[in-house]
Amino acid sequence: MTARAPTHRTHRAGYWFVAPAIVLMVVILIVPILIAALLSFTDYSLGNPEISWVGFENYDRMVNRSTYTRMITATATYVLVVVPASILLGLGAALLINSVKRFNDLYKTIYFLPVMAALLAMAIVWEFSLHPSLGIVNKTLASGCGTAAESVLSFGWLPWVDAQASWYARGCERGFPLCFGNKDYAIWTICFIGIWQAFGFNMVLYLAGLTSVSRELYHAAEIDGATSAWDRFRLVTWPMLGPTTVFVVTITTIRSFQVFDTVEAITLGGPSKSTFVMMYAIYEKAIQQNLIGMGSAITVVFLTFVLLLTLGQRYLVERRVHYS
Amino acid sequence: MTGGRSSPFAEPIKHAILILGALVVILPFYVMVSYSFKSPREIETNTGGFFGAQQEMVNEYCVKLGNPREACLETPVAFNYSEAFKKAPLLRYLLNGVVVTASIFLIQVIIALPCAYALSKLRFWGRDFVFALVLFCLLIPVHAIALPIYIMLAKVGLTNSYAALVIPWTISVFGIFLMRQFFMTVPDDLIDAARMDGMTEFSIIWKVMLPTAIPALLAFAIFSVVAHWNDYFWPRIAITGNRDLYTPPLGLREFKGGADGSIWGPMMATATIIVTPLIVAFLLAQRRFIEGITLTGMK
Repeated sequence: MTARAPTHRTHRAGYWFVAPAIVLMVVILIVPILIAALLSFTDYSLGNPEISWVGFENYDRMVNRSTYTRMITATATYVLVVVPASILLGLGAALLINSVKRFNDLYKTIYFLPVMAALLAMAIVWEFSLHPSLGIVNKTLASGCGTAAESVLSFGWLPWVDAQASWYARGCERGFPLCFGNKDYAIWTICFIGIWQAFGFNMVLYLAGLTSVSRELYHAAEIDGATSAWDRFRLVTWPMLGPTTVFVVTITTIRSFQVFDTVEAITLGGPSKSTFVMMYAIYEKAIQQNLIGMGSAITVVFLTFVLLLTLGQRYLVERRVHYS
Repeated sequence: MTGGRSSPFAEPIKHAILILGALVVILPFYVMVSYSFKSPREIETNTGGFFGAQQEMVNEYCVKLGNPREACLETPVAFNYSEAFKKAPLLRYLLNGVVVTASIFLIQVIIALPCAYALSKLRFWGRDFVFALVLFCLLIPVHAIALPIYIMLAKVGLTNSYAALVIPWTISVFGIFLMRQFFMTVPDDLIDAARMDGMTEFSIIWKVMLPTAIPALLAFAIFSVVAHWNDYFWPRIAITGNRDLYTPPLGLREFKGGADGSIWGPMMATATIIVTPLIVAFLLAQRRFIEGITLTGMK
C-alpha cells in the first residue's frame, strides 16, 4: 500500500501542476500563431464585420508593392549590418579584454551598460546627440573644422586621398549630414544604434566562451608550430568558440529582426520608408491603419524567419559544433 | 593568452582601443545625464561642461502663473527634474512600471514553478508530450504573437488595461525550461523526505523546491524585470491613449511627442530617472545581472 499511494498521488498532482501552463501556452502562444496565419489570408480589420478570403494577395503585395519591398530591404540591411558588426565587435572586445592585464572588469561593465538601459530612452538620447544643430556629435565635428583636426580627419595625409573631396572636408564646407533626416543616412544611423546596443551582450557571451578554452590547447598548438597570435586564434580560439558563435549569431539575428524602439522613436519608418523595418511595419499597418490582414502576413513571414533560424541553430548545435 | 612574446606596445594599444570603444559606449549616457543638469541656453550653445554652470534661471511658466519673478528663480537641475515630474505624471508611470513588472514576474513564477516541478520530479502519463510542447513554444518569439494577442484582447475589450500589459507575458516557457533544468539537479531524497513528513506535493513546491531554486530564480527575476521594465513594443500596442496606464518608456515617448527646444532638459531628466534604477542595480550586482541576462538570452 505504501508503495502505491505516493505514485498515485504524484500522478494526479502532476496534471494539476502542468494544467495552467498548458492552458496558457495554448491560449497565448499557439492559438495566436494560428490566428495570425489564418488572418494573413484575409482582408480583416477590427470593427469591420465583413471579412473575405483574399488568398495570397497580402503575400503578393510584400514582393510587389514598393512599400513592402522597401520594408524587406530595410530589414535585410539592418540584419545584415548589425549581426556581423555586433558579433565582430563583441568578439574583438572579448579578446582584447581577456588579454589585457588591468581594468578588465571595468571595460566589461562599461560595454554592458547599453544592454541594461531602456533602448527607447537611449534612442531618444542618440537622436538628440546626433541632432543636426543641437547635437553634440555634429557640433564636435564642426568645431574641428579649420583646425589641425580637419587635416587629420580629412585623410589628406594619405597619398591617395584628395583632402578637399573627403567626407570630413565636405562636411565642414556644407555642414554635417542630418543623420536621421537624410534617406541615405537614416538606416545606417539606426544600424549604428543597434550595434551600439547589441555588441556588449555578445561580448559577455564570448567572454564566457573564452573561459572554457583550456590553456593546454594553446600549449599544444604552440608545440605544433602555431606561434603567431593569429595562428593561435585561427587554430584554437575560433574553433573552440564555435558553439558560442552559433548561439550568438542566432540570438543577434532574431533580435535584429525585432528592432522597433529606435525606429518608432526616431524615424517613424522614414524618410521615404528607408527605415521601414518589419516590426514597425506590423505596428503601422495593423495597429495604426487597421490593416490586420497585411500585418498578419508580415508576422507570419517574420515568424518563418525566426523558426528557420532557431531550427538551424538547434541542428548545428546537435551536429557539428560539439567539441566536448 | 597572448604568450610571452608580445611587444611592449601591445598592452597600451589594446587599452587605447578599449578606451576609445568605452567613450563611444558612454557618450549617450554622458549626454543624457549632463543635459539633465543644464539650462536650455547651455544645451543650445553646448557650453557649461558636464554639470552646467547651475546659474539660477527664471521659470517662465511659474511667472505666467502670476508669481513674482524673484520667487521663480531655480537652478537648471532643479528645474529639469521638477519639470519632469510636473509636465507628465512621471510618478504614476514609474508606479505602473513597478506594478506591471512585478505582477508579470510573480505570475510567471506561480505558473512556471509547479509545471517545472511536475516535469522534472513527477511521473505521469503525457509528461514527455508536455515537455515537447514547452520546447516547441520556446521557438515562438513574443513579437510574433503581439498582433494576434492584440486582436484577441480587443475582441474582449481588454486593451487599455493593466491586464493587457500583463497577459501576454504570464506564460514564460523559458522560465519553465530553466526551472526544470534546475530542478533536475535537486536530489530525489530531499523530496522523498518531505513526503515522509506528510507534506503535500503543493507545499513541497513552495517550501522545499523554491528555497533550493533561489539562485536560478534570481537570474530569471533579473531577466524578466529588465526585459519588461525596458519593453516598449508591447505597451505601445496595448495602450492607446489612456495615459494613466503608461509605462515609463511610453511616458518618455509621449514627452518627446511635443518636444520643443526648451523641453530637452526635463526630457533628459525623465530619461535619466527611467534608466537609472536598472543601471544602479546592475552596478551593484554585476555578476548576477550578467548571468541573468545572458543565461536567459533565449528571447
